[in-house]
Amino acid sequence: MKTTRFWEASLNRFLSKDFLSGLMFIGFGLLALYFGQKLALGTPVRMGPGYVPRMLSLVLVGLGVLICIVAMVSGSDPVEKPKWKPITLVTIGIVCFALLFERAGLIPALIVLILIASLANEEFKLVEVIGNMVALSVLCTLVFKVGLGMNISILRGVW
Amino acid sequence: MELFDNLALGFSVAFSFQNLAYALLGCLLGTLIGVLPGIGPVATIAMLLPITFHLPPTASLIMLAGIYYGASYGGSTTSILVNLPGESASVVTCLDGYQMARNGRAGAALSISAVGSFFAGTVGTAIIVMFAEPLTRMAQKFGPADYCSLMALGLVAAVILASGSVIKAIAMIFLGLLFGLVGTDVNTGAQRFTLDMPELSDGIDFAPIAMGIFGIAEIVVNLERHLTRTGGAIKVNSLWPTAEEIRRAIPAALRGTFLGAALGVLPGGGPTLGAFSSYTLEKKISKNPSKFGKGAVEGVAAPEAANNAAAQTSFIPMLTLGIPSNAVMALMVGAMIIQGIQPGPEVMTKKPDLFWGMIASMWIGNAMLVVINLPMIGIWVKLLTVPYRFLAPAILLFCCIGAYSLQNSTFHVMQVAVFGVLGYIFVRLGCEGAPFLLGLVLGPQMEEYFRRAMLLSRGDPMVFLERPISLGLLITTALLLILMALPSFKKAREEAFQEEG
Repeated sequence: MKTTRFWEASLNRFLSKDFLSGLMFIGFGLLALYFGQKLALGTPVRMGPGYVPRMLSLVLVGLGVLICIVAMVSGSDPVEKPKWKPITLVTIGIVCFALLFERAGLIPALIVLILIASLANEEFKLVEVIGNMVALSVLCTLVFKVGLGMNISILRGVW
Repeated sequence: MELFDNLALGFSVAFSFQNLAYALLGCLLGTLIGVLPGIGPVATIAMLLPITFHLPPTASLIMLAGIYYGASYGGSTTSILVNLPGESASVVTCLDGYQMARNGRAGAALSISAVGSFFAGTVGTAIIVMFAEPLTRMAQKFGPADYCSLMALGLVAAVILASGSVIKAIAMIFLGLLFGLVGTDVNTGAQRFTLDMPELSDGIDFAPIAMGIFGIAEIVVNLERHLTRTGGAIKVNSLWPTAEEIRRAIPAALRGTFLGAALGVLPGGGPTLGAFSSYTLEKKISKNPSKFGKGAVEGVAAPEAANNAAAQTSFIPMLTLGIPSNAVMALMVGAMIIQGIQPGPEVMTKKPDLFWGMIASMWIGNAMLVVINLPMIGIWVKLLTVPYRFLAPAILLFCCIGAYSLQNSTFHVMQVAVFGVLGYIFVRLGCEGAPFLLGLVLGPQMEEYFRRAMLLSRGDPMVFLERPISLGLLITTALLLILMALPSFKKAREEAFQEEG
């Protein structure tokens, strides 16, 4: 019993906002070091392209470690349990839009984006969503294609 | 007087039909997005960045400034009418503004806020005019080492006055600086961190980052919070305040204006700090502090004036030194760089029409807000009743089309998605986006100045300590860092941001 509580407590410490952000900074620093390893460092007088990035990544890793240590010693707020639905759906929606926009045109991309983004909301009513799609299709076509004359296709192969 | 010649030049630029139209459009669009609850000026400007890219530089900056004013104004409107602040600067306006609205004085609160803001904006613009020349002349004496130190000071100072953990904010600056280095190295032509993607060879575009980190992340957080309107629509009656209200509002607005203007110049200062401090000041000097929080006129007039005055004066370090003091200014710097203008002291000497035209248009933008928005208040109130489940997908859609329009490429839309996820992670981990953005904007310049300074000194880093200007700036930076570590200062800083919640 005692051990489980101990594990929970230390797990909470690892799942704190500060500890995880420290890890994030370390991660970004290491990534930058990895991808920047082939860049020439040069000398302080004639710095190569890799000099400043190397310096910055090392500082970033250092700060990350420091943040982790401080978080371990003094603790910090636990990270709120994220709700996966909105962020996942919004991201998928944008990616789908990017994939469809040039291949299929504005209207199909718009329909998919609105549908997926509306699913992220808890009050999902199909009639409303369809109404929203129609209104936005008309609006976007008028504003971007007719009004601003952007070089986009509304429906690939048709307009 | 040279000053008046400059102003005359500015007004002749700003009063051209085209620029007036863009200022008006900016104010309208800014208010339109700004009144949407949960979307503050930074997100608004980030989302609307793409539409200004294809304009000439002066027009695009005038429009962006208009968007900024509109968005701030929209934030005050939602605070007063529905108790939902769009931005941290109008959190304090909620306290008394919403209470005034509930007491049936919504119209009076709105007009006091609008007129107070206009007055503060006028004073703020006058201060910019007075300080622009001497500061610019001073900045022209700066060498590369001095600039590098000045940027370090700007970045560190911005961290102190931001809320949240200091060390995390500093790490965010470094992360931003690193992201700023992506792309082709100017001196050698080497590709850095481009991951073999040709689209990245010009660097990561500023707009998708800003849209993702501020716009998308903000929408997602709002969706999570399951935003519901409180209180429903409040009826706006007569816009005229009573004589008693005017008598109490005027001195409060005056105090707010000057406090806000002074705090706005500080790096990391700006509207939020101004609004909070002036509210606290009013409460302290009031004969009847218990009225505050129950609809005190002073509690609306002072912070509204202060946040607008500070919004104006925070342009000073950006326009004269090229150092942004907060996230909004970082966005402006990014927009200038995209337009091919390197912010800094050269802007005033080399592009006087742009510089003075923008300053003149600030005043015009402030005037427009009063003239357009008070009569249009009914429309904004209607907009407030549109449910978020319609708005969120629509905003996302406009962001996507906007990102695409930057260079007619879906690669930018993908970038928005990636940075949206990153921005969401930042929010969840309590890492602030503003220092990241400041680092991102200043990164390339800072590296450039650093390398030039080291080249000039033949690789001797002592150059940063030998030049008096640089040394002074670095000492100030060090003092600020030490100050932050002191427990008593830490406590005061936490208290100052407590009301923000």
